[in-house]
Amino acid sequence: MKIAEALKFIDDNWVQKPKGFRVCMQRRQGSEWVTDYSPGEKAAPLDSDVTTWRLAWKLAVSKPLREGEPREDDLVNIYVVDQDNNQVDYYATGEKEIFNVCTV
Amino acid sequence: MQSELAAKAERLGFVMREYGADMVQAMIILVVGLLLLQFIMRKLKVFIDKKTKDSARANTILYIVYILLLVVIITSALITLGFDSRNIFRLIILGALALIAILLALRPYLPTLPFKVGNTVKVGSLLGVIEATTMVHTRMKTFDGKTVFIPNSKILNDFVINYHFTPTRRLKIDIPIRYMKDILRTKQLMEAIMIEDPRTLLKPARPVVYTLNLVDGCVKMGARCWVENKKFWITQCDILEKILMALDRENIVLAERRKAIRLFHETPLQLSGDVGNPDIETPAGQAAPAAADPSFSAISDDDEI
Repeated sequence: MKIAEALKFIDDNWVQKPKGFRVCMQRRQGSEWVTDYSPGEKAAPLDSDVTTWRLAWKLAVSKPLREGEPREDDLVNIYVVDQDNNQVDYYATGEKEIFNVCTV
Repeated sequence: MQSELAAKAERLGFVMREYGADMVQAMIILVVGLLLLQFIMRKLKVFIDKKTKDSARANTILYIVYILLLVVIITSALITLGFDSRNIFRLIILGALALIAILLALRPYLPTLPFKVGNTVKVGSLLGVIEATTMVHTRMKTFDGKTVFIPNSKILNDFVINYHFTPTRRLKIDIPIRYMKDILRTKQLMEAIMIEDPRTLLKPARPVVYTLNLVDGCVKMGARCWVENKKFWITQCDILEKILMALDRENIVLAERRKAIRLFHETPLQLSGDVGNPDIETPAGQAAPAAADPSFSAISDDDEI
């Protein structure tokens, strides 16, 4: 195996490099739950997971989940996804993390 | 004496009678022309700023228009004064050609500033974007919002780093860890964090981690990767944060710099053994001196590996 082939093998199979990140969240509108993204799906994603997680955290603490049923415009199940909509590990804990967890 | 003064006054009166009206007209043309020129330049600047974001090109266009209009105004005033228009145009063309020839001939010998308007440069300890240059000074806007006027003489005699010519920069993060900690695990974590960041580049070199040094009671690990100039600072901050978090998760403890201080006395003293810092030998009954240097910078700016 040539060096170039070995490097390509490593690139394809070891640590993956996401192209961008978005905050994924669910919002209650009327009686339905709507999945929303920030930045939106048509906008360019953020290139920093640190910044995206910070955005997710700020969204979560801006309107913390109260006891009882979620109300209109509450943001729940906030987490970070990559360009393929795969949930991204929280860099602080190394595990999957969801802010304002709510069973929908 | 009086007759000389009278003769001078008579000559002045003659000149004013003969050319006074022309001189007033020429003066009016000059003053109104210059005021009009200022107005036109202001409007043109607003228009060009809207059309292009290239401030260097915009400034060049503005300079050319300014010089052309200025020549038109001065020529008009001179023609009004009675100068022969053909001679004026010949003079202008000769002057312009002479100026171009002199500039071309002396160009290799003229000191030029090593940047253009819009470039991001570091002059001495100042880092910012060049906003304008004149014959005397250069105006720079630093990233903390300050406008700095730097004398050109200082720029020509100082080190200048122009980031415009190199679109990428090598990011450098040095992390000291304690002895006996898992060096390989540390390398893996640091390398993986750099690789998985979308902003790190594979060229000119892939992200890599070195075991740099063994000094001051710590093993110094060095992470190196290439990023775009524009994203350098924020990427460095993000990667440092992620590395610190990852090391903390893995119980890999950062080391503080230590210095071993040994106190020598003419008469031998009985040592009490380890008091506080095991690297410091203290005489019995004396407090251990503060040897550990708490100041530690993970990010340094020098270029050595």
